Amino acid sequence: MSEEFEPIIVAFCCNWCSYAGADGAGVARLQMPTNFRIIRTMCSARVDPEFILRALSKGADGVIVLGCHPADCHYIGGNYRARRRIALLRLVLEQYGFDAKRLRLEWVSASEGEKFQTTLSGFVDTIKGLGPTPLVKEGQ
Amino acid sequence: MGFLDIFKKNKAKGAKVVKNVDAKADKVVKDSGAKAKAAKPAVAKAPASCAAKTATSVSASQLPFSDLVEPGPLVTYKHGFGTPPGGKIKLAIYWAAACGGCDVSILDSNDGVLTVGEMADIVMWPIAADGKEKDIEAMNDGEITVSIISGAVRNSENEHMVKLLRKKSAIVVCYGTCACFGGSPALANLVKGGKDELLDYVYRKTPSTANFQADYHKDKAVIPQVSTTVSDGDLSLPVLYDTVKTLDQVIDVDYFVPGCPPLQESISYLLKAVADFVYGGVALPPKGTNVGVVTRTLCDQCSRRKEFRRITKIVEPHEIDVDPELCLMDQGILCLGPATVGGCNARCTSVGQPCRGCYGPTAAVQEQGASALTAIASLFPVIDDDATCGEGEIIDIMSTIKDPLGYFYAFTMGKSLIKRSVTEKGGK
Repeated sequence: MSEEFEPIIVAFCCNWCSYAGADGAGVARLQMPTNFRIIRTMCSARVDPEFILRALSKGADGVIVLGCHPADCHYIGGNYRARRRIALLRLVLEQYGFDAKRLRLEWVSASEGEKFQTTLSGFVDTIKGLGPTPLVKEGQ
Repeated sequence: MGFLDIFKKNKAKGAKVVKNVDAKADKVVKDSGAKAKAAKPAVAKAPASCAAKTATSVSASQLPFSDLVEPGPLVTYKHGFGTPPGGKIKLAIYWAAACGGCDVSILDSNDGVLTVGEMADIVMWPIAADGKEKDIEAMNDGEITVSIISGAVRNSENEHMVKLLRKKSAIVVCYGTCACFGGSPALANLVKGGKDELLDYVYRKTPSTANFQADYHKDKAVIPQVSTTVSDGDLSLPVLYDTVKTLDQVIDVDYFVPGCPPLQESISYLLKAVADFVYGGVALPPKGTNVGVVTRTLCDQCSRRKEFRRITKIVEPHEIDVDPELCLMDQGILCLGPATVGGCNARCTSVGQPCRGCYGPTAAVQEQGASALTAIASLFPVIDDDATCGEGEIIDIMSTIKDPLGYFYAFTMGKSLIKRSVTEKGGK
């Protein structure tokens, strides 16, 4: 196949920082790849590891969780919870055989439209480098 | 409406019918026919109507979980009740990839098990009774009233037998954790090389077999083959599968009884439901009912004092003097209670052993492991330099949990979202 691999990426953005950051990137008309689909959650701690596993099981090539910077969480400690869960989930994904780079956690504040752009572009490149999800769909 | 509610509702009706049965079997057919609509076909000809009844109850209730554990008398049908009015039903008990503990747990129902003998002909029970595959094959479809199947499906024989039993049975009960969630056998799904790697390890690399092979099969290690030719002809063995499946991933299942093994109460409820139906014509619980589980988690049933302390050091129960009153998680022992559905009356935690999650997840989630992971990761305290430290330090902290996948998914790998190990192929 000569076509370039276009990954499907699910991006969970917290309502207070990263979603606003994504909005800022859009308002500033920053150029970004179109591989990601944003799901807004109230906090990065709202992202249950089951959501991430479900995204991967449905064929997502990568999942990125974006939240407020440490000490900046709207709910005081949500992002600390999230980073512990994501760290543990990355260990679980590694045990499954996934490359842990397929799951990423980043901090993007409401004013960081540019960071949102660079983070997402970088993540898309990482996933392009890794190739399609190793998950074999049932019946194949 | 829950399983128990149906019992309560039918209690008065059922009790009357039961009394009648005791007095005069013939009369029951008329009485129950007149008084209880549901009873009419059931008593006359139990097996055929079973299928119809379970089928109708599916649409009647889509509630998969119901509160079942409630104190009080469990089995009302005592020994000495006699043959059911519609004749004995046929019962099959089968094990697929199971250890046999589930079969033993069926005997735990004490005198209730005597009801089984009076109520049913056991047409198959590999661990205890005769009855071969050809006997089952000779039966008509739906002739067996109840099949209780334990164990996961991991080879072609398992698959063939459970499909055969499904065809010949009106009701199939998915019994035990391996059948419901994959259990320990499903952890084999995490072996990357699948069945070949498994067989190679078991027959070549484990210390005991390695010595055996070295002593007796110096030239060539012996690994079981699907087909072997000997002087008298071909011998065959079932084909081992790469991915272990749960029972309901292979066949349609009517009831689930989780537990490793299920509690005596669970089997008693199941027995009572079948006895109610066979003797009294009481409608069966809705299809998909989880027998013996409650709606809340194990922590709700666990009597330990919860102080919601943070985990600073993970320990095993044998490494400390376990406080008999305090929550195990507060003492640093990883317990799957917060992610596991209740129903077992917290047997393990009450004797100082952490919950390993054999009852499976609650109705609200699919991934028991992910729930456990969420709960346990949140118990690690926020450290002083949390705001400034890098992700590496957090990974170091979380790495103190050894083998998280095996620990959190010890019993539910077969039902997990990812299901088996994957292999990265790499980009270009």
